[in-house]
Amino acid sequence: MAEAEVVRTYEVQAGDFSNAGRASTSIKDTLKDLGLAAPLVRRVAIAAYEAEMNIVMYAQRGTMRLSVTPTAIVLNVRDEGPGIPDITLAMQEGYSTATPQMREMGFGAGMGLPNIKRNSDELTVTSEVGRGTHLSVRVNVS
Amino acid sequence: MTAERSGMDRVNHLTVELSLADVRDLLDADVIWCPDPTIRIAGIVAADLMSDVLVDSRPGALLLTGLSTVQAVRTAAIADLAGVVFVRGKRPPDDAVAVAREEHVPVFVTSQSLFAAAGTLYAARSAPHPATGVPAHG
Repeated sequence: MAEAEVVRTYEVQAGDFSNAGRASTSIKDTLKDLGLAAPLVRRVAIAAYEAEMNIVMYAQRGTMRLSVTPTAIVLNVRDEGPGIPDITLAMQEGYSTATPQMREMGFGAGMGLPNIKRNSDELTVTSEVGRGTHLSVRVNVS
Repeated sequence: MTAERSGMDRVNHLTVELSLADVRDLLDADVIWCPDPTIRIAGIVAADLMSDVLVDSRPGALLLTGLSTVQAVRTAAIADLAGVVFVRGKRPPDDAVAVAREEHVPVFVTSQSLFAAAGTLYAARSAPHPATGVPAHG
Protein backbone atom coordinates (compact mmCIF):
# COMPACT_ATOMS: atom_id res chain seq x y z
CA MET A 1 0.00 0.00 0.00
CA ALA A 2 1.41 3.37 -0.97
CA GLU A 3 2.13 5.65 1.94
CA ALA A 4 0.44 9.02 2.08
CA GLU A 5 2.97 11.80 1.79
CA VAL A 6 2.71 15.48 2.56
CA VAL A 7 5.25 17.70 0.87
CA ARG A 8 5.88 21.41 1.39
CA THR A 9 8.70 23.52 -0.04
CA TYR A 10 9.86 26.86 1.34
CA GLU A 11 12.19 29.47 -0.11
CA VAL A 12 14.62 31.16 2.28
CA GLN A 13 16.42 34.42 1.53
CA ALA A 14 19.83 35.18 2.97
CA GLY A 15 20.30 38.21 5.20
CA ASP A 16 16.58 38.59 5.84
CA PHE A 17 16.73 38.48 9.63
CA SER A 18 13.26 39.93 10.08
CA ASN A 19 11.68 36.95 8.33
CA ALA A 20 14.21 34.38 9.50
CA GLY A 21 12.28 31.54 11.09
CA ARG A 22 9.10 32.01 9.09
CA ALA A 23 9.64 28.82 7.09
CA SER A 24 10.37 26.82 10.23
CA THR A 25 7.25 28.21 11.87
CA SER A 26 5.21 27.07 8.85
CA ILE A 27 6.84 23.65 9.04
CA LYS A 28 5.93 23.45 12.71
CA ASP A 29 2.33 24.48 12.01
CA THR A 30 2.05 21.87 9.24
CA LEU A 31 3.27 19.11 11.55
CA LYS A 32 0.90 20.22 14.31
CA ASP A 33 -2.00 20.26 11.84
CA LEU A 34 -1.11 16.69 10.89
CA GLY A 35 -1.64 15.71 14.52
CA LEU A 36 1.95 14.67 15.24
CA ALA A 37 3.04 14.53 18.89
CA ALA A 38 4.29 17.80 20.40
CA PRO A 39 7.79 16.52 21.38
CA LEU A 40 8.30 15.25 17.83
CA VAL A 41 7.09 18.51 16.32
CA ARG A 42 9.42 20.46 18.61
CA ARG A 43 12.47 18.40 17.54
CA VAL A 44 11.78 18.98 13.84
CA ALA A 45 10.99 22.67 14.42
CA ILE A 46 14.28 23.24 16.25
CA ALA A 47 16.29 21.40 13.58
CA ALA A 48 14.49 23.37 10.85
CA TYR A 49 15.08 26.70 12.60
CA GLU A 50 18.80 26.05 13.06
CA ALA A 51 19.06 25.09 9.38
CA GLU A 52 17.05 28.14 8.29
CA MET A 53 19.25 30.46 10.36
CA ASN A 54 22.31 28.92 8.73
CA ILE A 55 20.92 29.82 5.29
CA VAL A 56 20.04 33.35 6.41
CA MET A 57 23.46 33.89 7.96
CA TYR A 58 25.81 32.16 5.54
CA ALA A 59 24.25 31.45 2.15
CA GLN A 60 22.81 33.49 -0.73
CA ARG A 61 19.53 31.60 -0.83
CA GLY A 62 18.11 28.22 -0.06
CA THR A 63 15.14 25.91 -0.05
CA MET A 64 13.66 23.73 2.65
CA ARG A 65 11.60 20.74 1.55
CA LEU A 66 9.46 19.00 4.12
CA SER A 67 8.22 15.49 3.47
CA VAL A 68 6.00 13.65 5.91
CA THR A 69 5.00 10.00 5.71
CA PRO A 70 3.43 7.81 8.40
CA THR A 71 6.90 6.61 9.40
CA ALA A 72 9.19 9.62 9.08
CA ILE A 73 9.57 13.36 8.74
CA VAL A 74 12.32 14.28 6.29
CA LEU A 75 13.66 17.77 5.83
CA ASN A 76 15.92 18.48 2.88
CA VAL A 77 17.71 21.82 3.13
CA ARG A 78 19.71 23.01 0.14
CA ASP A 79 21.52 26.30 -0.14
CA GLU A 80 23.60 28.19 -2.62
CA GLY A 81 26.49 29.50 -0.62
CA PRO A 82 30.11 29.18 0.38
CA GLY A 83 29.83 25.53 1.40
CA ILE A 84 31.56 23.89 4.35
CA PRO A 85 35.26 23.05 3.80
CA ASP A 86 35.52 20.69 6.78
CA ILE A 87 32.21 19.08 7.78
CA THR A 88 33.75 17.13 10.69
CA LEU A 89 35.00 20.39 12.17
CA ALA A 90 31.66 22.10 11.57
CA MET A 91 29.89 19.32 13.47
CA GLN A 92 31.91 20.06 16.61
CA GLU A 93 30.10 22.04 19.29
CA GLY A 94 31.54 25.53 19.60
CA TYR A 95 33.21 25.64 16.18
CA SER A 96 31.92 28.66 14.30
CA THR A 97 32.83 31.01 11.49
CA ALA A 98 30.13 33.51 12.47
CA THR A 99 30.67 37.24 12.20
CA PRO A 100 30.09 39.60 15.15
CA GLN A 101 26.83 40.70 13.48
CA MET A 102 25.55 37.12 13.50
CA ARG A 103 26.45 36.77 17.16
CA GLU A 104 24.59 39.98 17.96
CA MET A 105 21.49 38.24 16.61
CA GLY A 106 21.95 35.50 19.21
CA PHE A 107 23.34 32.91 16.83
CA GLY A 108 26.70 31.77 15.55
CA ALA A 109 27.80 30.04 18.74
CA GLY A 110 28.82 26.91 16.87
CA MET A 111 25.78 24.96 18.03
CA GLY A 112 23.73 24.87 14.82
CA LEU A 113 24.79 21.65 13.10
CA PRO A 114 25.38 19.77 16.39
CA ASN A 115 21.89 20.76 17.54
CA ILE A 116 20.35 19.66 14.23
CA LYS A 117 22.05 16.29 14.73
CA ARG A 118 20.84 16.11 18.34
CA ASN A 119 17.23 16.59 17.22
CA SER A 120 17.34 14.15 14.32
CA ASP A 121 17.48 10.39 14.02
CA GLU A 122 19.61 10.64 10.88
CA LEU A 123 21.53 13.59 9.52
CA THR A 124 23.45 13.66 6.27
CA VAL A 125 25.55 16.69 5.35
CA THR A 126 27.12 17.12 1.95
CA SER A 127 28.80 20.27 0.79
CA GLU A 128 30.79 21.68 -2.07
CA VAL A 129 32.99 24.67 -1.37
CA GLY A 130 31.88 27.64 -3.44
CA ARG A 131 28.60 25.98 -4.44
CA GLY A 132 26.53 25.16 -1.39
CA THR A 133 25.40 22.70 1.23
CA HIS A 134 22.73 20.01 1.44
CA LEU A 135 21.33 18.73 4.73
CA SER A 136 19.03 15.75 4.94
CA VAL A 137 17.36 15.50 8.33
CA ARG A 138 15.25 12.49 9.20
CA VAL A 139 13.11 12.16 12.29
CA ASN A 140 11.31 8.86 12.78
CA VAL A 141 7.62 9.06 13.59
CA SER A 142 7.32 5.63 15.12
CA MET B 1 20.92 25.33 41.04
CA THR B 2 22.33 22.60 38.86
CA ALA B 3 25.54 22.76 36.88
CA GLU B 4 25.66 25.72 34.52
CA ARG B 5 26.47 25.84 30.87
CA SER B 6 29.05 28.42 29.95
CA GLY B 7 27.52 31.84 29.40
CA MET B 8 24.11 30.81 30.55
CA ASP B 9 22.19 30.74 33.80
CA ARG B 10 19.49 28.16 33.99
CA VAL B 11 16.90 27.65 36.67
CA ASN B 12 14.83 24.57 36.19
CA HIS B 13 12.54 22.31 38.18
CA LEU B 14 10.55 25.06 39.85
CA THR B 15 9.37 24.01 43.26
CA VAL B 16 6.73 26.75 43.52
CA GLU B 17 4.65 27.09 40.39
CA LEU B 18 4.68 30.61 39.01
CA SER B 19 2.14 32.00 36.59
CA LEU B 20 2.84 34.69 34.01
CA ALA B 21 0.89 37.07 36.29
CA ASP B 22 3.29 36.20 39.14
CA VAL B 23 6.23 36.89 36.85
CA ARG B 24 4.74 40.21 35.77
CA ASP B 25 4.22 41.29 39.39
CA LEU B 26 7.55 40.00 40.72
CA LEU B 27 9.53 41.77 38.00
CA ASP B 28 7.24 44.84 37.92
CA ALA B 29 7.13 44.18 34.21
CA ASP B 30 5.24 46.00 31.48
CA VAL B 31 2.96 43.71 29.53
CA ILE B 32 3.58 44.04 25.80
CA TRP B 33 1.28 41.18 24.90
CA CYS B 34 -0.19 38.51 27.15
CA PRO B 35 -3.71 37.24 26.50
CA ASP B 36 -3.65 34.68 29.34
CA PRO B 37 -1.67 35.62 32.47
CA THR B 38 -2.85 32.47 34.30
CA ILE B 39 -0.51 30.25 32.26
CA ARG B 40 1.98 28.45 34.51
CA ILE B 41 5.65 28.38 33.57
CA ALA B 42 7.53 25.08 33.60
CA GLY B 43 11.00 26.51 34.19
CA ILE B 44 13.18 29.50 33.46
CA VAL B 45 15.96 29.96 30.95
CA ALA B 46 18.09 33.11 31.10
CA ALA B 47 20.31 33.65 28.07
CA ASP B 48 21.28 36.03 25.30
CA LEU B 49 22.44 33.25 23.01
CA MET B 50 19.44 31.78 21.23
CA SER B 51 21.67 28.86 20.22
CA ASP B 52 21.87 27.92 23.90
CA VAL B 53 18.12 28.34 24.38
CA LEU B 54 17.47 25.96 21.48
CA VAL B 55 19.81 23.40 23.02
CA ASP B 56 18.86 23.63 26.67
CA SER B 57 15.36 24.94 27.24
CA ARG B 58 12.40 22.74 27.85
CA PRO B 59 8.80 23.26 26.71
CA GLY B 60 6.85 25.70 28.83
CA ALA B 61 9.93 27.48 30.19
CA LEU B 62 10.05 31.27 30.40
CA LEU B 63 12.85 33.02 28.52
CA LEU B 64 14.64 35.95 30.18
CA THR B 65 16.88 37.75 27.71
CA GLY B 66 18.66 40.96 26.86
CA LEU B 67 18.43 40.12 23.16
CA SER B 68 15.67 42.48 22.09
CA THR B 69 15.11 41.19 18.57
CA VAL B 70 12.56 39.23 16.61
CA GLN B 71 14.84 36.17 16.91
CA ALA B 72 14.17 35.93 20.65
CA VAL B 73 10.42 35.70 19.99
CA ARG B 74 10.91 33.28 17.08
CA THR B 75 13.09 31.09 19.28
CA ALA B 76 10.42 31.05 21.99
CA ALA B 77 7.76 30.09 19.45
CA ILE B 78 9.86 27.33 17.89
CA ALA B 79 10.86 25.87 21.27
CA ASP B 80 7.33 25.98 22.78
CA LEU B 81 8.36 28.43 25.51
CA ALA B 82 5.78 30.06 27.79
CA GLY B 83 6.87 33.61 27.02
CA VAL B 84 9.70 36.12 26.81
CA VAL B 85 10.81 38.76 29.33
CA PHE B 86 13.11 41.40 27.88
CA VAL B 87 15.41 42.78 30.60
CA ARG B 88 17.02 46.20 31.21
CA GLY B 89 13.94 47.94 29.85
CA LYS B 90 14.73 46.91 26.28
CA ARG B 91 11.48 47.22 24.42
CA PRO B 92 11.09 44.78 21.53
CA PRO B 93 10.96 46.19 17.99
CA ASP B 94 7.66 46.25 16.10
CA ASP B 95 8.49 43.13 14.07
CA ALA B 96 9.11 41.17 17.28
CA VAL B 97 5.75 42.25 18.71
CA ALA B 98 4.03 41.31 15.46
CA VAL B 99 5.55 37.82 15.57
CA ALA B 100 4.60 37.50 19.25
CA ARG B 101 0.96 38.12 18.36
CA GLU B 102 1.06 35.83 15.34
CA GLU B 103 2.66 32.99 17.25
CA HIS B 104 0.92 33.58 20.59
CA VAL B 105 4.09 34.25 22.58
CA PRO B 106 3.48 36.41 25.67
CA VAL B 107 6.01 39.26 25.93
CA PHE B 108 7.02 41.43 28.90
CA VAL B 109 9.62 44.11 29.59
CA THR B 110 11.29 44.64 32.96
CA SER B 111 13.77 47.31 33.98
CA GLN B 112 15.70 44.70 36.00
CA SER B 113 18.99 43.26 34.76
CA LEU B 114 19.19 39.65 33.55
CA PHE B 115 20.95 38.69 36.80
CA ALA B 116 18.43 40.48 39.03
CA ALA B 117 15.39 39.18 37.17
CA ALA B 118 16.68 35.60 37.27
CA GLY B 119 17.50 36.01 40.97
CA THR B 120 14.08 37.42 41.77
CA LEU B 121 12.31 34.51 40.11
CA TYR B 122 14.70 31.99 41.64
CA ALA B 123 13.96 33.36 45.11
CA ALA B 124 10.21 33.39 44.45
CA ARG B 125 10.28 29.80 43.33
CA SER B 126 11.97 28.91 46.63
CA ALA B 127 9.59 30.94 48.78
CA PRO B 128 8.45 29.43 52.07
CA HIS B 129 5.17 27.64 51.94
CA PRO B 130 2.54 30.01 53.40
CA ALA B 131 1.21 27.37 55.79
CA THR B 132 4.41 25.76 57.04
CA GLY B 133 7.05 28.47 56.60
CA VAL B 134 9.36 25.79 55.22
CA PRO B 135 11.20 26.75 52.03
CA ALA B 136 9.71 24.84 49.16
CA HIS B 137 13.06 23.50 48.02
CA GLY B 138 13.69 22.43 51.61
